[in-house]
Amino acid sequence: MMRFNTDPEWLKKQAALEDNCFVSVGGLVLAVEDLEQQAQRVNAVHTAFVNLLNLTRREYKLTWEQFSQKVDVDLAELMGIESDENYKPTPRTVTKIAQFINVPAEKVFILSGLARARDIQFEEAALRFAARSQPVKELTSEEHEALKEYVKFLCER
Amino acid sequence: MKTPVHIIDNRTGQPVEAELFDEVTVEHFIETQQEWRPLVLKAARQLVAHGSRELIPQHFHWDWTTKAPELSALANNFYGIRCENKLQGLMKLQTVGPFCRCRLPEQADKALVYVDYVEVAPWNLKTLAAALGEKPVYNAVGSRLVEAAVLKSKEEDCKGRVGLHSLPITELFYRKVCGMTPVGRDSAKQNLLWLEYTPEQAENFLSGAR
Repeated sequence: MMRFNTDPEWLKKQAALEDNCFVSVGGLVLAVEDLEQQAQRVNAVHTAFVNLLNLTRREYKLTWEQFSQKVDVDLAELMGIESDENYKPTPRTVTKIAQFINVPAEKVFILSGLARARDIQFEEAALRFAARSQPVKELTSEEHEALKEYVKFLCER
Repeated sequence: MKTPVHIIDNRTGQPVEAELFDEVTVEHFIETQQEWRPLVLKAARQLVAHGSRELIPQHFHWDWTTKAPELSALANNFYGIRCENKLQGLMKLQTVGPFCRCRLPEQADKALVYVDYVEVAPWNLKTLAAALGEKPVYNAVGSRLVEAAVLKSKEEDCKGRVGLHSLPITELFYRKVCGMTPVGRDSAKQNLLWLEYTPEQAENFLSGAR
C-alpha cells in the first residue's frame, strides 16, 4: 500500500518549487516539421481495418446490420469506419470488435487509428492485407487465406 | 490501485483531491493523444512564432499510444493522476531492464526503479499554458508522480532508489525540486543527464526534509 504525503505544507512547498519547471522524462526532440510530415503519411492501416471488418462480416454471412447486432456496436459507428478514413470509433466499439474477431484489443486500437504502431512491420502487413482483400461478393479462398493469415499475424505479434 | 492524493489548484492556491491510479489502459493513452497532444503542438507553434524555440517542450512529439503493447509487460508499471475527470499526468516505470541499476559510486549496481516516461498535461505547465494564453490549472502533479516512483521503489525493496534520464529542459525539476543527484551524461541515451536517488535523498523528498 503506497502511503502518500498528506501534509498540505509539503504539497504547497513542492508546488511552489515546481511552478516554473517543465516536467517530463522520455524521448528526444523531433523537429516540428518532421511531426507534420509524419501526420501526413498515407494510412494503409485504415484500409486494412475496413477490409478486416468486411471480410469478417462476410465470413459470417452477415449484413452490416446483423454484424452490428452480433458485435454489439452501433451501426452508425461501423458505417463511419467503413466510409470515412478519418473517422475515430469509440474505444468501446474497438474493444467489442476485437473481442468478436478474437484479436488483442491493442492491435485493433492501432488499426482503428486510435493508437499508433511503433514499427513499420505493422503498417507493411496492413498494406499487404489491404492489397490482397478485394471487395467482391463472396470470399475467395485467397481472401479466406488472407483473412486467416492476417488474424494470425495480429494474434502472434 | 486507486489512491486519493492532493494536488494544488492554481485557481485557489489550495489543495484539491485527485486520484492516483495504476490501472492505466489504452484509453488513457488515447486521451493523451486527443486532449493533450493538440494543445502541446499548438503551444509549440506559438513559441516558434514568437521566436522562443528554446522553450518548445522537448516531449511535444510523444505518442503514448505506441506504448499500448507494453501495458501487459510485468516489468512495466504505469501510473496516472486524474482530477476533475481529466488526466493530469502519466508515468511509466520499469522495475526490470538495462537501466534498472544504480550508477552512483556509493550504491553502484544496486537495483533501482527506472522512470522511463513522465508527462504532465499541457494545461498544468506554465510555459505551455502561457503560450496558449492561459494560466496553469494544477500544480505539484510532477511531484506526486515522482513520489509514486519512490514509493514503488520501496515496494520493490529498492529502498527509494530511483533513476531516470532527464531531457535538458527538465533537469532543473529533478535536481532542484526533487533533490536527485546528477550522475553524468549517458552516451547510450543521446547524452541525456542521468539522475539518481539514494535512499536518504528519496526519504528527504518524501518527508520534505531537504
